[in-house]
Amino acid sequence: MFPLAARLRSEPELLQEAVAIVEGNGNNAHVVTATRRARTKGVRGGMSLAQARSIVPKLIARGRDAACEHTAQDALLEVGETFSPRVEDASDGLVFVDISGTERHYASEEELAKAAIRALDAIALPARVGIAASKLASRVAAELPQTPTVVPPGEEAKFLAPLPLARLSPALEAAAMLQRFGLESIGDLARLPESEIASRLGELGRELHFAARGVDPRPLIPRALPPDFREGMELEWPLVALEPFLFIANAALDRLSKRMEVQGFACKRIELTLTLEPDGYDARAIDLPAPTRDVKTMLTLIRLDLEKRAPGAPVIGFTCVAHPDRPRRAQLSLFGPAALSPERLATTIARLISMLGEGRVGMPVTVDGYLPERHAVGDFAPPPPPDTRRTPPRARGLLAGRTFRPPIPVEVITEGDKIASLRGENIEGTVRVCSGPWRIEEGWWRDAPAQREYWDVELWGGGIYRVYQAAANNDWFVDARFGV
Amino acid sequence: MAATARCLESQFRLPQPAIPVLVPPLQPVDSGVFEAVQALKKAHRLSSGSELIEALERRRRDKIVPTTLAAIDILLDGGLPRGKMTEISGRGARFPVVVATLASATSIGEAAALIDIGDAFDPQIGQAAGIDLDRMLWVRPKKLKEAVTAAEMLVATGFQLVVLDTGLPPLRGRVPDAAWVRLARAAEAHGSALLVSAPYPITGTTSEAMLRAETARGRWSGGLLIGIETTMRLEKHRRKRPGQHARLAFEVAERT
Repeated sequence: MFPLAARLRSEPELLQEAVAIVEGNGNNAHVVTATRRARTKGVRGGMSLAQARSIVPKLIARGRDAACEHTAQDALLEVGETFSPRVEDASDGLVFVDISGTERHYASEEELAKAAIRALDAIALPARVGIAASKLASRVAAELPQTPTVVPPGEEAKFLAPLPLARLSPALEAAAMLQRFGLESIGDLARLPESEIASRLGELGRELHFAARGVDPRPLIPRALPPDFREGMELEWPLVALEPFLFIANAALDRLSKRMEVQGFACKRIELTLTLEPDGYDARAIDLPAPTRDVKTMLTLIRLDLEKRAPGAPVIGFTCVAHPDRPRRAQLSLFGPAALSPERLATTIARLISMLGEGRVGMPVTVDGYLPERHAVGDFAPPPPPDTRRTPPRARGLLAGRTFRPPIPVEVITEGDKIASLRGENIEGTVRVCSGPWRIEEGWWRDAPAQREYWDVELWGGGIYRVYQAAANNDWFVDARFGV
Repeated sequence: MAATARCLESQFRLPQPAIPVLVPPLQPVDSGVFEAVQALKKAHRLSSGSELIEALERRRRDKIVPTTLAAIDILLDGGLPRGKMTEISGRGARFPVVVATLASATSIGEAAALIDIGDAFDPQIGQAAGIDLDRMLWVRPKKLKEAVTAAEMLVATGFQLVVLDTGLPPLRGRVPDAAWVRLARAAEAHGSALLVSAPYPITGTTSEAMLRAETARGRWSGGLLIGIETTMRLEKHRRKRPGQHARLAFEVAERT
């Protein structure tokens, strides 16, 4: 059922449909598993797709999607890690969690199991939970239809005894052989002498006998925390337009965001890998200005990146990898000015950058030099505000001019060494007062040094401008206006 | 027999062992904070921490952001009101007022944002005017619509002062009147002081106060530009009679 659950997690709109997960192509395609609606009509695992379609003509067939299953397994593990740090990845939708030490958090083990089921429901993964003292017993308990199943400590053998032998190891042929011996249940096997079973079936028989008695010496092997979070899927048909892709990516980012929230992380960098048709990949990395879990921000940045650099071929699959980081935290002040919430600030800056473009949002930075239009933009990370409120100093009353970036080219009429009139875009008039020139030279060691002669001029019709003539080509420009 | 021990010049003195201190001396309580708490308790008759936090929040909202330009602060009854929108329009010296207000807010540790449609801000002049650039976010949109959207986002983020400067005429794009209403409501909800600087009035009835900057004249001395003079007129104020005016002078940075 896990391949189906993983697929439905990525395509929740198929939940109420008759859907079958198939493996193989063409005539070899066979059903692996199917939804309840398809099963009630007679579709079973192992049927060929043609057989299944003859029963349910409108059966929706979906191939097994390794990316979906991988991300669903990751999500399963992450939910397990919210209950205990010791979680083993047993693959194919099976996770072992060591819950020793969590007794004080839950009224009973059944409550814990119900909490786990609720947590998995929240991420659209229906699950069954079994609690027992060994991995084998807990797995068998989790496979039972009534969930959750809690096996009291020391009663593993009693719990296993009435169950059919196939529950021990469903994939093993030995179970079928034991049935041919006339053994029906696990209890029948447990009652036989261990040496007799070992003499007939070898080491495998000994292990089965141990398992039947509820003895499972395998320790839990906790998994190492992954360095990133991954979501993705293979598409049924190639996508050529951006909007449908963003619709699917939005759902994937939403799942990523929820998974990171569970772990208390935020995304610092997104790596998007697109599988292209007929073959090839397109990989790109998007750095976020600050760690965030805001899906809208991440999606906008992906949209901008794809618009800027299109993949150039239809997309048939994608993987989205989020590199986690701790969200920024800050201590707020009681008496001083209110501090900005770092997470909210990061999200706002990311949104502003996605709306306005890189380099248009940030902290202004002074630059050494002489050219008046020089400027730089840095990352905005304000220091914490002071603890107490202060009184601002009296303003210096400095004349701040408006800088024109880029400078506006103008036509200038001169009389001797003075400027008589100006004419340019939205600038026209006769000069009332003129002072200058002042010479500026910067970068004399370069091939094209900046050499300018500056004048301050005031027009009769109003307007005080800073005008310069570039020595390189004798063109005139206005680069600032004062008093507006 | 008794022998007298003598300390020879060549002998080293053993260092005195340090006396272990079990409890380090307590840090003295910051007198400013203590006095502030005492003053608040007295003024509001506070009995619990939650009342104290509520009183602080009320006081924070009641306060104003002074422009620190005496003439404008007198016209606006102390400065820009928090949670309200104030507009400066006209062909006069709007940008020096914007820079002075940013310097005032950032110098006391508040976070301020300048939405600069004309890309006109000069960080060097800003720093010379007293702006703490570390606390100032510089946003450079190209259109008025982007600027208003950015202003709303910044207000919602918690910036104590948001300045929207539309640059020189003609304005780049238009926004519906409802956008200003929405922006004013956002400022009210988050307690931010919002200053809109435009060549002509654009915020309509949503602004708390409106100043008009009249055309500036240059001040020249010995053939050098040493500053400008302008007049600010109070066009509208919800709690004051309009029509008052004040003269303002700004000096060129290099000459000060």
